[in-house]
Order: sequence, then C-alpha cells, then structure tokens
Amino acid sequence: MPKLGLKSKVAIGIFVALLLMLIGGLFFPAPRPDIHLSANYGGESPEPFYRLGPIYITNTLIASWISILVLIGFFYFATRKMKLVPRGLQNLAETVVETLLGFVEGVAGKENGRRFFPIIATIFLFVIMNAWMGLLPIFNVIGTGHTGTSDTLFWGKYSGFMVDTALFRPANTDINVPLMLALVSFMAVEYWGITTVGFRQYAGKFFRYRQLLHGLGQLIRGRIKSAVGILFYGAIDVFVGVLELVSECVRIVSFTFRLFGNMTAGEVLLLMMAFLIPVVIAVPFYGLEMILGFVQALIFAGLTLVFATVAVTPHEAEHD
Amino acid sequence: MDAEAMKMLGAGLAMGLGALGPALGIGILGFGAMQALGRNPEARGAIMTNMILAIAFAEAIGIYCLIVAIILGML
Repeated sequence: MPKLGLKSKVAIGIFVALLLMLIGGLFFPAPRPDIHLSANYGGESPEPFYRLGPIYITNTLIASWISILVLIGFFYFATRKMKLVPRGLQNLAETVVETLLGFVEGVAGKENGRRFFPIIATIFLFVIMNAWMGLLPIFNVIGTGHTGTSDTLFWGKYSGFMVDTALFRPANTDINVPLMLALVSFMAVEYWGITTVGFRQYAGKFFRYRQLLHGLGQLIRGRIKSAVGILFYGAIDVFVGVLELVSECVRIVSFTFRLFGNMTAGEVLLLMMAFLIPVVIAVPFYGLEMILGFVQALIFAGLTLVFATVAVTPHEAEHD
Repeated sequence: MDAEAMKMLGAGLAMGLGALGPALGIGILGFGAMQALGRNPEARGAIMTNMILAIAFAEAIGIYCLIVAIILGML
C-alpha cells in the first residue's frame, strides 16, 4: 500500500463517515424517541413489571441489580488468589482503590480520609457503574412495545418495532436512585459531624443564640450602648444559623437533581442524536456521555467528602 | 392566550433564559482558573480539582432549568 499523507487520510475518513451516514440512514433509521421521566413508562401510564409488596420492580431496579452484581463479582474475582505483586484483575482493582484513597485523603487528611473512604468510594463506584452500563447496547432498546410507524427527520418513514417499556434502563435516570444517594450522603455527613465534635457543638452551628443572649445580658445590666451593637450582630447570627440549616436540607434536593438531570439529559441526547443522524453522530456523544458519567460520579462523591470534612472540623470559637 | 401556547412558551423561555446564568458562571470560573494556572503552573492539580467542583455547582442550576422545561413539555 502506498504511504498516505495526512490530507488523504482525512479525506478518506470523511468519505467513510458520509458513506456510513447514508447507509445507516437508508437502511437502519431510528424512530422518534419517546421521552419520559418516570421509570417504567409503557403506553399510557407507568406500571411496574411486578409489585413485591411495597417494592415496585421496574427496569431501573433491574439495571441497578446488574451493576451491583458486576461490582461484587469484579471485586470478588480480583481478591480471590491475591499475590504480593498484583497481576491482571487484582492489579486493576488495586489501581482503582489506590486512586480513590489518594483522592479522599487528599481532601480530608489522613485519619479522616480512612474513616470516610468506604461510603465515598461506594457512592463513586455505584454512580459510575450505573452511568457507564447505561451505554451498553442492551439498555433502552430491548423491551415490550408495539409495531408502528414514525417519521424520521431526513430519511423517510420508519415502520417497525418501537419500544414502549424498555427492559433495562440506566439506573441513574430514575429519580429514586439519586434521591437515595443524596439521603445516604446527608445522613453520613450528619453522623460523622455529630460523632466527631459532639451533638451540642454541631447543633450550635445552626442554633446560634449565644451572642443574642450576651446582648440581652448587657441590656439588662443597663449598658445600652454596647448592648445595641451586640444585639444587632446577635440577631444576624441567629438568621445565619437558620440559613445554614436550610442550606443543609436543600443540599439533598440539589444533589438529587444534579445527578438526575445530567443522566436523563444525557440519555435523551443520545436517543435524539441516534434519531437525527443514525450511525455517525452518536459516536462523539457516547464519548461525552462517558466523560459526563465519570465527572458526575466524582462530583457526587467529592461534594459529600467536602461537606463531611467541613462538618468534622471543630468550630473555632468567635468571641469579640 | 390558551394554556397550550403558554406551556410551550414557558418551556422555551425556561431553558433559554435559564442557560444564560450557568454559562456565564462557568466562563468566569474558567477565566479565573486560566489566570491562576498561568501564574502558577505547578499548582495544576489543586486548581483543576477545585475548578471542576465549582463548575458542578454552577451547572446544577442549568440542570434545574432543563428539568422544568422537560416537565413543561410533558404536561
């Protein structure tokens, strides 16, 4: 084969991409995607596959079971016959654990890092496994549906099978999973805070009445001039405490919607891109989705870590 | 002005106006990070980590607007 210069390689690449686009569009068009936020949407209204008492078995639940099994299987097989010099699966597991431990200890310090590590690493691995497994070809396309027709944008009509209720759906697109992770992280941060600095000091961050009481004491003793200043700052302090309390609770909502919104928007983006231009355009968006899954897992675990570090720092006494 | 038209208008305005703030915020963050990186290339790790953290905070607000727009589109 003659040596190809850069320009001819680029030209051949563009030609192949256009050819794939044409073939994909003419022979494999995709139907218009149906966008639904609730988990098991089929036709008219969400109905889970099975009700086990209060538990609804939906497609996102099955997907999260798969990622749990994959994680457990991976770490089980990686630690079966452990050698001192790791090879293969054990090497990969050790790399993952060491990188995460380095990240956690870098933010929280050595001893706190060891204490926070299990929950932070589990949150990270669960979110990233859910996000990346959602990119496999079996998700969102296998399921019960109906045969129908739908218009595509440039490629005529698509007539064939259209999925109504998918069998597997990425677990992060069900709002319950990010909500569960946000509640777990909230409870873990409160637990670490209360067990490290004690309940009175931790609650003293939110109910700051000391300066107000000091000001009232000054008022009673008759020193009006200093009392007014201290009372003013005391009132502001109480307000700041209430604001901190509200901000702690709103963090749950913010964590939930950040993860849920990113994952759902990514899924909708991939379906829309496959609908618009069948084979070619989905590839760079798959890369975007992989990066986004990693970044969102890092953000979730990292923010939990940062708030936990702030919660266990003893409150420096402010006296004027 | 019937309900359908207002719904569509609301969805479009929600996403359109809502994307303005986070985009500007992320741009300002990137500007600050580039300046810091230019002054002190050795602190690359710390700068990048904190920048990504702050970008996630700013982006979450844009995602809230996206959820509102999707819900308005589905109603």
